[in-house]
Amino acid sequence: MLKVKAGDLDRMGMLFERYNRQLYGFLFHMTYQRELSEDMVQQVFYKMLKYRHTFTGTGEYIHWMYSIARNVLKDHWRKNKQQVQHEGVEAAETIAGGLVPDEAFEKKQAKAELHRAMEKLSESQREILALSRFQELKCQEIAEILGMTEGTVKVRIHRAMQELKSIYVKMER
Amino acid sequence: MKCELYEELFTGWINKELSAEEKGALEQHISGCDSCRNELQALQQLWGHMGQIETPEPSANMSVKFYAMLDTYKESVKEQRSLWADIKYHISRIWEWQPRWPMAYNLAMVVILVGSGYLFFGKNKSDDQDKQLKALSSQVHELKQTMMLALLENPSASERIRGVSYTSEIKHADKQVIDALLATLNNDPNVNVRLSTLDALTHLAGHAEVREGLIKSIVEQDSPLMQLAIADVMLKLQEKRSVGSFRELLKQKDLDHGVRDKIKQTITQLI
Repeated sequence: MLKVKAGDLDRMGMLFERYNRQLYGFLFHMTYQRELSEDMVQQVFYKMLKYRHTFTGTGEYIHWMYSIARNVLKDHWRKNKQQVQHEGVEAAETIAGGLVPDEAFEKKQAKAELHRAMEKLSESQREILALSRFQELKCQEIAEILGMTEGTVKVRIHRAMQELKSIYVKMER
Repeated sequence: MKCELYEELFTGWINKELSAEEKGALEQHISGCDSCRNELQALQQLWGHMGQIETPEPSANMSVKFYAMLDTYKESVKEQRSLWADIKYHISRIWEWQPRWPMAYNLAMVVILVGSGYLFFGKNKSDDQDKQLKALSSQVHELKQTMMLALLENPSASERIRGVSYTSEIKHADKQVIDALLATLNNDPNVNVRLSTLDALTHLAGHAEVREGLIKSIVEQDSPLMQLAIADVMLKLQEKRSVGSFRELLKQKDLDHGVRDKIKQTITQLI
């Protein structure tokens, strides 16, 4: 990224190749909308180009990337507070409306329910779980991205997990 | 130890970030705390289930869009840079021009400023100033003339000489001045006054009246000193018309010998 900052814009292609899936995964777990996530990946990379001079190089590149992605998400939620629509919910309902009650179906249904439970979490809880479980980042890295202490991150992950569990248990009943 | 204090360790347990020490402490706690053991088990199960939630792959479209965006961005940056480079280049050129053309530039500026200054202010002012100056100098001239004429009437010879000397300062001697001078030349009782008057009139020899007056004056002079002086002046002015007057002077019987010789010499020189 420092080379991009110095004017070698072709290096941004390399960064894209390395991180686009990871970033897309994070944004997908935050929004559960494929196209929107792709648009946001685009936005994040555009902002990284445009504001490349703000990258100091003191922290890790991906921390900077995540902080830009979080800002893009915040902008999105601020603009679209009213019209939240999740593809995941629709998919789950379609599956739930199916007729064949076999083992695979039950597994799918369980997964869809967990999916829905995730959606019911608050944005910050979903975010911390997206980073820890789906991005598989270490608590120390999450702490840097979110600007918290490592201990706080651990407690918050635990609370988010407890919340998810209680939502999930309620849904099963 | 309270169960809440193990919350941090729960997270570490399920995402496998615990050190051996921490792991041992948590294991010791859950062996004696059923609720915590069940909780941890449930959470670990849930964590495992979450892992089954697939993260979809981004479409190929995303990558195409990204590279299109990158190219567009690079173009825009290049344009900005080339524009900036152009400006820089021109600025540097200005610095190059300066040492090369300072003289031409300065001269052009001087010419323009002087020209415009003359056009804007010069004409009116110089006209006014000229008028004022002319009026003033004519006043001074008149004053001097009057003073001169007054001095010529003065009984003191030295004052009359002073008056005569003023005529050298009078550039355009008019008839009044010339007449006064000629009268002094012919009638003044003092020979010194007449000599200086002759001198003054020699300077005004450009006037025809002065020349005529001088020629007529030759026979009027009775002082040998004046006769010699006037002969010299006529020789200097190459006035041939004076020859007649000199011949008349030679007829005078009581003429000084020296003067007679001088006049004869002058006549031969003039003819």
